Amino acid sequence: MENRSEKEIPSRKRPNLVKAHLDAITIGLKTLLTRKPMTMMYPEVSEEWPEGYRGVIIYFYDKCIGCSLCSQICPPRAIKMYKVPGDKRLRPGYDIGRCIFCGLCVEICPVDALAESKVSDKVFDKLEQMVFDPIDWTFFTKDLQKEQETRRNKVRVIIDEEVGLRYESTVTK
Amino acid sequence: MSSSTLPGMEVRELGTRQGLRLIELNIGAQHPASGHMRMIVYLDGDVIVDVDPDIGYVHRTMEKLAETREYVRVISTIERMTIIDACNVTLPYVEAVEKLLGIEPPPRAKYLRTILCEINRISSHLYGLGLGGIFLNHSTMYMWAFGDREVFLHLANMLTGARLTHTYAIMGGVRRDLPQGFRDAFEKAKRYMTRRLKEYDKIFFNNPVVRGRLENIGVLPRRDAILLGASGPNLRASGVEYDARMTKYAAYEELDFKPVVGEAGDALERIWVRLREIEYSLELIDRALKQLPEGLFFNEKYVKMAPPAVKHWIEKGRVRLPGTYIRLKTKPGEIITRAEMGHGEITYHLVSDGGIKPYRLRIVTPSARNLILFKELPKGHLLMDFPAIYGSLDYFPPEADR
Amino acid sequence: MVLDIDLVGTISTYLGLPPELVRAVLAPLIYPGLGVFTVIVLFLIWAERKIAAKVQLRVGPYYVSKRLHGALQMLADGIRVAFQEVIIPLEAEKPAYILAPILSFAALTVAFAVVPGGPGIYGFSSSMSLLIVYAAISVSPILIILMGWSSSNKFSYIGAGRETLVTIAGEVTLLASLLSVAMMYKSLDILEIVEIQRQTDIIGLVANPLAALLFFIAALLLTDRIPFDLVLGEQEIVQGPFTEYTGVLYALTLALDYGKLYVLMLLFTSLFLGGWAPFDSVILGVVAVLAKTILLLLLAVFLRSVYARMRIDQVASVFWGRLFPLALLSFIISALVAPLYG
Ligand code: SF4
Ligand code: SF4
Repeated sequence: MENRSEKEIPSRKRPNLVKAHLDAITIGLKTLLTRKPMTMMYPEVSEEWPEGYRGVIIYFYDKCIGCSLCSQICPPRAIKMYKVPGDKRLRPGYDIGRCIFCGLCVEICPVDALAESKVSDKVFDKLEQMVFDPIDWTFFTKDLQKEQETRRNKVRVIIDEEVGLRYESTVTK
Repeated sequence: MSSSTLPGMEVRELGTRQGLRLIELNIGAQHPASGHMRMIVYLDGDVIVDVDPDIGYVHRTMEKLAETREYVRVISTIERMTIIDACNVTLPYVEAVEKLLGIEPPPRAKYLRTILCEINRISSHLYGLGLGGIFLNHSTMYMWAFGDREVFLHLANMLTGARLTHTYAIMGGVRRDLPQGFRDAFEKAKRYMTRRLKEYDKIFFNNPVVRGRLENIGVLPRRDAILLGASGPNLRASGVEYDARMTKYAAYEELDFKPVVGEAGDALERIWVRLREIEYSLELIDRALKQLPEGLFFNEKYVKMAPPAVKHWIEKGRVRLPGTYIRLKTKPGEIITRAEMGHGEITYHLVSDGGIKPYRLRIVTPSARNLILFKELPKGHLLMDFPAIYGSLDYFPPEADR
Repeated sequence: MVLDIDLVGTISTYLGLPPELVRAVLAPLIYPGLGVFTVIVLFLIWAERKIAAKVQLRVGPYYVSKRLHGALQMLADGIRVAFQEVIIPLEAEKPAYILAPILSFAALTVAFAVVPGGPGIYGFSSSMSLLIVYAAISVSPILIILMGWSSSNKFSYIGAGRETLVTIAGEVTLLASLLSVAMMYKSLDILEIVEIQRQTDIIGLVANPLAALLFFIAALLLTDRIPFDLVLGEQEIVQGPFTEYTGVLYALTLALDYGKLYVLMLLFTSLFLGGWAPFDSVILGVVAVLAKTILLLLLAVFLRSVYARMRIDQVASVFWGRLFPLALLSFIISALVAPLYG
């Protein structure tokens, strides 16, 4: 502010008092009358996540070679290696309560035995239910895939020039 | 310390503190407008004499945690310091490790990092603006900013696959290529936001009531801003032309970056700088998308090493890492990197002893640097101005506490 | 009109009580008093939240009674608050802490007895009824200050201090605009004022818009509406004098502000909008009064979504420096337009 007068500073340019009050009230009224809520009515509808969304990790037992790379890279140690009866190799188990959905395990897996699902909201009753050993994880994967397909009332989020976000139902009928 | 008892009311006098009879007011840790911290405000009547910020409520030992983890696993840990600004907060760390590893990300990766950084900056500024609004009890600004932030979270989601914790920049490049339809979506978001910024001006920035609350409040003169080590928009609002992006990391050199600088140094100016930076960030992303070079988004060395069974993913724009990536070994050495976050400048000092984990990682976050302003700025203002000053500083407790 | 029955007369002959007594009980308890007030306040809080939500691109109350767009949410909240435990802080001055909200609300009901809610609907008539309403309203700040003091909490204490400042600043303006109106109509009797407006077909808003504006703004200040919600001041002092209140007592403190707003807007309707004009019949008159009042209430709550909270010194300077001189000006306007009303 040293050498310049107050008026030259861009942020100090103020509109006239009455106009400013009217502007504020008008824009408030305009929004009140013309705009719809931006809210997505979750959980009545849920978002169809965009391509590549990183949700709960799913596991394919058959593809896995038991290299344990996933358990090594996992930042919160959500993946640990388990001994499975009747299997010589160690297999990864999964603690969904620890997982931060970073997706690094998927990226390090050399054989595509892990993948990201598009589900990120799962509810469990007990803490113990959130820990999966390799076999459980395989079954959980199946459930999750089914759920992903059968979940109803999904909406796609679309960025819109006028209203910011628009929600479009994925049901085409 | 004497204590005088009014019937029914204990007023603790702080005796001779600067010769004044003061009331000690605990704002926080449970208070509608304190954040995860406590401010002990000393009041003489309604005038603030002193403020003692008491931090540490969300301290999570980030620096120590970093020493216990491999380089790649550190990224998603330190991201949690400022979850609303995830790319900016991790980028200098990634660059530091890259320099110690002696690898260079391809140009396309640099641009993609810049794009996400600017998207993060916009959402971080909107978050700050929203909180600044609710601190003045302007709930509409609060909701509008948070609603419109959703647009940019969605953009980030499209680019990285996560709304907040992207872990996007990793050593050697970025994890995903630009998805289809991103340019189009951004174009729309830009036009929407530009229009919305005008509406923000009308309902908030030029609103006489808001102006009355912010103008000439918490004035931080240029000299003091430098002496106190303020950073980010708070520094620039005082007329200091400094922005860590001027140090030309990522793609900022080619984008011809110029900082937004204010002059007056008061709360209004700080808000103004944020609003203009949102505008400028939109512009920067636009430029970056136009100049985006072709090529790989990840360092060639690692791409070659990636397991053959999953190479097809890389063609589809998703990175696949080689097994050795977990235990990256750096050269021994020390390095300091910095970047401009939404809240200000973050500095990393990485010391490596040649192992697979950082030997020491020192982090100086912008909020930690801006904390001193809580002590200095409110002095002499009314109690009512305290939230206004807090809101204008865009302070983020988890970031300061690390 | 068939529906135009004399309710008061019927009840008084049925019970064998003098009609004045029946009137004086019915008005503060049912209409315009507590009964209707409760319904209106529930509606108003819902409307306030819904309007704010709409402006802020949200949905607002929704899940309680989806078909009614969440209108029953407030009822649910009310029931919850009614059954909530009342916690009294150890250090609080118990009698004052409990009595203050109850007394202040009781004082408010006095105002209900005087403000007319339609043709012939009032508790009792008096040639000083305007002053009685004003007096009833201005009792509550004293009790609010008492609440702040008795809570033994620093935030409450500061809130009580603010209440003092706000009251002094606001009531001068309110009183000045009231008196200028009284001067214009040459009467202090609200019923008479309404009648004068109906006879001359000139409503007070047209005759003296300045007084109406000042009245409205002062009413916003006295009832803690944004932009003047200094006393509540959530971001600084949590909930002001009411910080420590819980349960029913908290609901009373909340209803107190809405009650004051309701009374003041009823008064506004009578003073500036011609009360039940243009109707004569009881039913239509009541509808007209309620419609006008609710419109004013909605306007008052809409401002919440546009403005922030004003700073305390600015409020003081605006009210003393700008509005009070304007109030004096409105006396001059009143003097000029007084001949209109004979
Ligand atoms: S997504 Fe991240 S946190 Fe979750 S299991 Fe994979 S590596 Fe671990
Ligand atoms: S990285 Fe893949 S192949 Fe290796 S153990 Fe994990 S899931 Fe199995």
